[in-house]
Amino acid sequence: MKKAASSIIAAGVVATSVMAADAAITASKVDADLSRISYSSKIWANTKFSDVVLYPQTTIRQNDKKANEINANNKAKKAEVAAVYNGTDIAFMIKWADATMNIQTYNPEKLLTSYKSDQYSDGFAVQFAADGSDVERLPYIGMGSEGRPVVVHLQKAAQGVFESNGDGNVYYQLNRNQTELFGDDLATFDRKVKNLGSNDYERTFISEGFRSMTEIKDSSSDSHARLGYKAGSWMGTLSRPLQDEYANLDSGAVPVAFAVWDGEKLGRDGIKNISQWVSVKLDGKPGGEALITALAEKASGDAAKGKEAVAVNGCVGCHQVEETDAPNLMGPTLSNIGGYNTAAYLRESLKAPSAVVVPGYNRNAHSNYMWYTEENGKRTSTMTDYSWLDDETLNDIVAYLQTLKAEVE
Amino acid sequence: MSKRQLAMVMDLNKCIGCQTCTVACKTQWTNRNGREYMYWNNVETYPGVGYPKNWMELGGGFDAAGDLQPGVIPNLEAEYGVPWDYNYDELATGGSFEPNVEPTWGPNWDEDEGAGLFPEDNYFFYLPRICNHCTNPGCLSACPRDAIFKREQDGVVLVDLDRCQGYRYCIAGCPYKKIYFNPKISKSEKCILCFPRVEQGLPPACAQQCVGRIRFVGFLDDEEGQVHKLVHKYKVALGLRTEYGTQPNVYYVPPTESPAKFDANGKIIEGSTRIPVEELEKLFGPDVHRAIKTLKAEMKKRKETGESELMDILIAYQHSDMFRLDNNYYSQVAKENAQTPLAPLDTRYAAGKHTKPAHEMKFFQGGDFTAEGDH
Repeated sequence: MKKAASSIIAAGVVATSVMAADAAITASKVDADLSRISYSSKIWANTKFSDVVLYPQTTIRQNDKKANEINANNKAKKAEVAAVYNGTDIAFMIKWADATMNIQTYNPEKLLTSYKSDQYSDGFAVQFAADGSDVERLPYIGMGSEGRPVVVHLQKAAQGVFESNGDGNVYYQLNRNQTELFGDDLATFDRKVKNLGSNDYERTFISEGFRSMTEIKDSSSDSHARLGYKAGSWMGTLSRPLQDEYANLDSGAVPVAFAVWDGEKLGRDGIKNISQWVSVKLDGKPGGEALITALAEKASGDAAKGKEAVAVNGCVGCHQVEETDAPNLMGPTLSNIGGYNTAAYLRESLKAPSAVVVPGYNRNAHSNYMWYTEENGKRTSTMTDYSWLDDETLNDIVAYLQTLKAEVE
Repeated sequence: MSKRQLAMVMDLNKCIGCQTCTVACKTQWTNRNGREYMYWNNVETYPGVGYPKNWMELGGGFDAAGDLQPGVIPNLEAEYGVPWDYNYDELATGGSFEPNVEPTWGPNWDEDEGAGLFPEDNYFFYLPRICNHCTNPGCLSACPRDAIFKREQDGVVLVDLDRCQGYRYCIAGCPYKKIYFNPKISKSEKCILCFPRVEQGLPPACAQQCVGRIRFVGFLDDEEGQVHKLVHKYKVALGLRTEYGTQPNVYYVPPTESPAKFDANGKIIEGSTRIPVEELEKLFGPDVHRAIKTLKAEMKKRKETGESELMDILIAYQHSDMFRLDNNYYSQVAKENAQTPLAPLDTRYAAGKHTKPAHEMKFFQGGDFTAEGDH
């Protein structure tokens, strides 16, 4: 009898999907130094890779006509991700298929012929929440949100990129043809110029929403990213301290998000594929169950009813809901919202639209479509507050929104 | 919108297409550091493909409802042209004189071609173009990083190179294609209206060097200034392609003085003019008719009475009148912003008299090449 009762309870738990879930990625503990780990390290051979799906970012579409055409019907990409950690550092490796290797290049010695104005690079980024402890209120997936900062590590396949300011020595900014040098002196000049360029386009940003993204340039962030291409796949690694002034990852489980860019499809900025916040369990460290459960949550509502509720409540008045709906500039496009947002975020956005305000377009670009009003620097969403809906309807809507995502390619 | 707006007026009746402005700009700003292919100032022949090629068809700007329109980022080889040089070194050893890159396109590929049938009605005129430092810039609106800003004190539109990540939406967003991608630093750059010169009371290099004295520079709200008079008092200076909705701040006096056409026998058709007014309307909008009327009337008045303020302005007697740049105003701005003294030069762009001594260059010391501040 007792056994039967517990199995009934278990069935009930399954129905509402609050059963303890597995973490999306498990970071195993290693003893090795991870601070300069590369994709070719032997560590990865013994580490379990997990699938992470990256959805095409369609929340906003920028004004690059060609890129918009090429990326109109993008599918989701599947990446394989593994993670390891030791006492001080955590490292990730991400592998994803990409038929074309796109590197943004610039060669100062052949400067006249190596110029390209419309060349873009492949690359990847890993995003961490500065504070991932409130599992229901994680930062917005698109580079954080006000009061909920993220730190983003970016590695692009770009070669020969020069600092705009360099070291302030403008002499080495001269075109070699405009120097007074010949022969060996010119060769010396070329060599010195070349040495000023960087072949490692690695950047770290802090951000509270994508317009606010700011590069950390004072070396207060110590990370190390590598990128390599082999047999139709990119392999990227990132290692960073478990704890620094931007994020504390020293806990049972942490939320991490990934993005990849495809230079062949003119990818840069928002023209990318991004994952949802995925849970990374630090094997051997206690805690993190709440986060793992929250990130795995599939709303228990009825998606068909949710779709009806979305129609009844007039969401299309402002949002392009499905890929096939007419574009609408009044609010974020929702066509992949189920791919890269958590159930908790969707629920929060319905009940408290101003909790996270997506920065949207430059306000000058679409001045008739106000995503938010701003008073004393505080953004208030122009979206209707749907907290008056009953929980069942909200749950149905969230279940429907979670179905909005591109197929995996 | 900025507090004040610096503007330029170009008198197209007087532009002779000598490209001195282009060269002045190039030697001042764009002959180095990844900018070699850029022409912040160019002079194109109209009608023609322009620079970059067919820029008027590459999108950007705003529609009537004020929405930013998608645009295309030009290809360097096909639409800007790869800058080429010659093999001077090989000449010394008896080689033949060859360009080091096979020229495929350049900013002046179709110079002086124009349109119409020679000798009956062929025509062209020159259209010098710089960044319009728009009141509602398409580039600024397109930037997802808020890396482009319009200076409060004079409306000059600039790129914050620290924030710029080289996404290039600005290029798509600018209907004039006057912002460029610098492949060396992987960031966007554009005409800065020579703000370091302007702050010192000097006009932009293109205006200073103009041999035809076609360029007037000043603040739009300076009622004593010639720019204000041309734009607001006489309304003979008009923005270029204002239907793009960016409210450009470079104004053009339309070319009214073109020769008469010939008939089939080579005789002058009296009262005819070679430049079709429809073409001018395409560039400067319907106001061009009124501007032409005013210009003709003032010319007549000057002929008859010997007096016309408008004609006196367009004769361009004195640089000091053509360029009303207020160094004291900028000093005041600097003081208000507690920037005393105002940084006279942006060292990102130039080595000049205010460049830090540490960056002074010393060449060929002891037969070797050294430069201080070297890495």
